[in-house]
Amino acid sequence: MTAVLEVNQLSRAFDALWAVRNVSFRVEAGELLGLIGPNGAGKSTLYNLIAGALKPSHGDILFAGRRVTGWRAHHVARIGLARTFQIPKPYRQLSVVENVMLTAFHHERSLPRARALAETTLADVGLSEYAGAPIATLTVGLLKRLEVARALAMRPKLVLFDEIMAGLTPAEVGSMTRLVAELPSRGITVLWVEHVLHAIMKTAHRIMVLDRGEIIADGPPGTIARDPAVVRAYLGEELNLA
Amino acid sequence: MSLAAAKRGERHAWRLPALPRRGAVSWFEVGLLIVCVALVAFELPQNLRDVIVLTFLFGGLALAWNIAGGYAGLISFGHAAFFGIGAYTSTILFVHAGVTPWIGLWLGALLSSAVGAFLAVICARLRGPFFILSTLAAAEVVRIGALNWSSLTGGPEGLSILPVASLASMVFSSKTVYAALMLAYLVICYAVTKALEASRFGYYLAAVRDDEDAAGAAGINPLLARTGAMALSAALTGLGGSLFAQYFLYLDPTFVISPDLSFQLALLPAVGGLGTAIGPVLGSLLITPLSELLRAYLGNMAAGLHLVIYSAGLIGVMLYFPSGLAGALNRLAAGGKRKP
Repeated sequence: MTAVLEVNQLSRAFDALWAVRNVSFRVEAGELLGLIGPNGAGKSTLYNLIAGALKPSHGDILFAGRRVTGWRAHHVARIGLARTFQIPKPYRQLSVVENVMLTAFHHERSLPRARALAETTLADVGLSEYAGAPIATLTVGLLKRLEVARALAMRPKLVLFDEIMAGLTPAEVGSMTRLVAELPSRGITVLWVEHVLHAIMKTAHRIMVLDRGEIIADGPPGTIARDPAVVRAYLGEELNLA
Repeated sequence: MSLAAAKRGERHAWRLPALPRRGAVSWFEVGLLIVCVALVAFELPQNLRDVIVLTFLFGGLALAWNIAGGYAGLISFGHAAFFGIGAYTSTILFVHAGVTPWIGLWLGALLSSAVGAFLAVICARLRGPFFILSTLAAAEVVRIGALNWSSLTGGPEGLSILPVASLASMVFSSKTVYAALMLAYLVICYAVTKALEASRFGYYLAAVRDDEDAAGAAGINPLLARTGAMALSAALTGLGGSLFAQYFLYLDPTFVISPDLSFQLALLPAVGGLGTAIGPVLGSLLITPLSELLRAYLGNMAAGLHLVIYSAGLIGVMLYFPSGLAGALNRLAAGGKRKP
């Protein structure tokens, strides 16, 4: 298999604190890789390092066959990396569909075609009826779905999801989980940070656990749910995945 | 049904509002253009002619400022520098080298644009008040430079264009021609703004303004977008500066590159509605005549009285129309539609 993303000995310090420390992993093409861990484990920092929002202190990042260490966000995005933000960051003065058009421009340079792609993507996440609405009228759950739509409209090679289930109703979690599960078959590799465990444990092919900036476990969901170190650091008790 | 019940019913009839499509032209705008053309065509007293010329000029300048300040979120208190660079470039070329202002004004726009781009690049890391203060300081640098480079700019004594009417020297005896010229300038700035709204670049500016991190994650280079916005805004402002020079026929750094002028250029779109095409035009249509007429009629009565009334008017607009005249107009249009 070929790796879409390869992270080698990646570290980032904020003053004396190592937010991410010697993290190494590979994401294979077509994989759906989950990343879990307690608050403050360094998940968002790791995302910011990969996506170019932060510069690493040490280490290397290879994405789509290129060494992207220290690249700026828009450069990494242009070669096929999409991300969502844990706290949604919509363009507040644009409509919902225009928000998605801005990532659709990645593939469709003309406005009408970008709008068409944006509308298709909105339908995928169930936001069609809000296409023309101003951002101020959206609830948190809808904003989360808008984040997903923006990322998917880029048709990325790899997408980094950051807690896209938070604030969603159980029914919404169900439909969003189905959407995420079929992304690999559409050629989109997924790295996914999530606290809604039943969603991620049932969907991900593999789970990594981050704690205090280091990876403490890596394996299939069934093994992770019973891993003593993971139970101690994050789960509290063994998860029943049946 | 009681009035209260009727009001409740109206509230229930509220639908999901949709934003108007960017770049679309409304009948209101077409009507406004017809009114402006009529103002040029009709015979009016000389002092009103002056007001109309300035209203159109400042309408165009406000639109130019709004490209950076409204659409890209680059609030500038230094646009008088671009105005001055445009005015001085065409005038110096004409007075010292005999280059016709018809060519000089484009060269002025080009130089303004280059300075605007340079300013955006050196202020790349500054946001909010820090950016605003830098633009203010940059304009002061330009003003002091113009004051001291006497061999080129005439320094504090200023620079005059001979008031001999001729097409080649872009000097006219009739104010109607100037009014038409300024209206043409306003229409150009308006067309550029509408085209920007409906373009990919216009969307990039909105993205960078609303959330720079999200824009970067979407593959947009924030610095490039900001630089482009400043360059375009400065070019149009420089164009207005040259036109002003041809109308006023005298330039002096303490006036054409003054902070007062910079504030005025920011004020008009703020009153009219930031980040809308119609806003700056409405701002100038309201504020420019108000300030000119107040000065003309009250300027001699009591020192500063016209400024007091002017300021009270501004405070009123900002209190009651926080999203500008354009926002108030939109609410009016939406309210009208909701009635049965």
